[in-house]
Amino acid sequence: MSEFNSRQLRRTVLEMAYAGSTVHIGCAFSLIEILAVLYRNHLRYPGNDPQAVERDYLVLSKGHGVMGQYACLHEKGWLPKSELDNYFSDGSRLKGLSDGHVVGCEVTSGSLGHGLSVGVGMALAAKLAKTDQHCYAIVGDGEMNEGTMWEAMLFATHWSLDNLVVIVDENGFQAMGKTSEVMKLGSLQDKFSAFGFDAVSIDGHDELAIESALAQLKANKNGMPKAIVARTVKGKGVSFMEHQNIWHYTRLTEDSFGAAMAELECAQ
Amino acid sequence: MRAAFSKAIVDAAKADPKILLLTGDHGYALFDDFRKALPDQFINAGIAEQNMVGVAAGLAKAGFKPIVYGLAAFVPVRVLEQIKIDICYENLPVILIGDGAGLVYSHLGTSHQSTEDIACTRAIPGLTILSPGDRFEMAAAMRLALSLHSPVYLRMGKSDRGDIHSAELILSAGEMLKVGGGSANTAILATGSMVRTALDLVEQGLDAEVWSVPSIKPFNCKQLNDIAKNVDLIVTIEEHSIIGGLGACVAETISISSTLPVCRIGIEDRFSNACGTWDYLLKEHKLDAASISYKIHEFITRIKIGSSVK
Repeated sequence: MSEFNSRQLRRTVLEMAYAGSTVHIGCAFSLIEILAVLYRNHLRYPGNDPQAVERDYLVLSKGHGVMGQYACLHEKGWLPKSELDNYFSDGSRLKGLSDGHVVGCEVTSGSLGHGLSVGVGMALAAKLAKTDQHCYAIVGDGEMNEGTMWEAMLFATHWSLDNLVVIVDENGFQAMGKTSEVMKLGSLQDKFSAFGFDAVSIDGHDELAIESALAQLKANKNGMPKAIVARTVKGKGVSFMEHQNIWHYTRLTEDSFGAAMAELECAQ
Repeated sequence: MRAAFSKAIVDAAKADPKILLLTGDHGYALFDDFRKALPDQFINAGIAEQNMVGVAAGLAKAGFKPIVYGLAAFVPVRVLEQIKIDICYENLPVILIGDGAGLVYSHLGTSHQSTEDIACTRAIPGLTILSPGDRFEMAAAMRLALSLHSPVYLRMGKSDRGDIHSAELILSAGEMLKVGGGSANTAILATGSMVRTALDLVEQGLDAEVWSVPSIKPFNCKQLNDIAKNVDLIVTIEEHSIIGGLGACVAETISISSTLPVCRIGIEDRFSNACGTWDYLLKEHKLDAASISYKIHEFITRIKIGSSVK
């Protein structure tokens, strides 16, 4: 099994969600391949230290997908299984949204539209300090409703932050329904391009496509910040969760947990 | 006071290249010296205060020491959530400067006036709140802020009211400074622009000791209780709402330890009705010296009547 295997990561998410009787499974599943590729090939943590001063930064601006990140932090060896097993139990440390107090999580998110600005600040810090650190910011398409996202994009372009890679988990849903019905976003690739980003659109579950986009964009040291609009499926990986926004809210039962795990055991 | 602020940030940034000044496109003349001396440490983040504070948090996480400047109506009020989540929750060393606090922008109206900034920042854990009253307190407050390595909101109000101290001073967090009056039965605790007003009242014959409160949070409860032991009445004066500001802070503290009456003088729970000079607006809100004097005497009369009824 390769490192950061997407099926294993999804199983870890399911086990956490079942143990903690929690929600937000669909939005964790949509960004699994993005996280897997970043952790496997791009995020540099010298000495495997998540607090190394010269590390790259991963900002999970869409903090609702945090179970996907917890699964990766567990694989990195920074979160013990006992913490995953006790997810959401009284007194536990891991919360339902990205939390900057957890080593490995760079920002406290969940209130949307915060993380990208913080990530922009970290990318700027690397530029000012003349290091080769990158900042990867995973944002939600629903999160693009927030005005601060566009403020941050303007700033990133003005300050020529070509060490910033924004990855949009474009799963097409937000809390109350389809993004196209709640607040039309149009082409995010066009919008990022218009704001001065090097922007591409890819299949966000195709790890080769993610890898290729990251490698290509990072090679362009042209002063332009980077954006990858990753088309994803909310609930990806479990047939009865895919495209079903109810899995933003639904808790697993013994039956649904068993059925989901069975699919992930069988999946190729 | 503004010259003291400018000098403080230029000196600090010259001594420490990690200090960055961020502004939301405000401070046109104020930052002339800084921009000339330290252009690489100056960031105009544009008219986008929320992003600016988030960026400052990111810079601080990566080892820089940002000073974020805005008008108090915008920093901290507009960006309150960024201060709470991005800065204070992570205890980052970011200094937030809110300029023109209170009614300073008297002609511009409600959007630029800030009479709720202390109230909304006081409840955020880990945020130090400083409110200097003259150039000496400003210089001391900046030195204190830079030494803390934690989040600070520095409230800069009406800045041309003259000195209340005669020499440089050292300020410790929470400390109140006796600035006038002898030993009296009334203690006036004032902050920012209202310290000068309190001193004026004493000069006009009001029998009170005057304390400046340049540090609203943390607040030295022991020092307040010591002051309270020697007086019959505490009066607070601030160019801020009477809800949630210095007066509330004093009343909350006193309520635990004593039954001493606290007369809170500030802006009542309303917006400004009209525009005009700063002095005009103070009068409209009954924060001019004559109105304050009247309020204090009225309060004392009411207490006396209350005691005699008992």
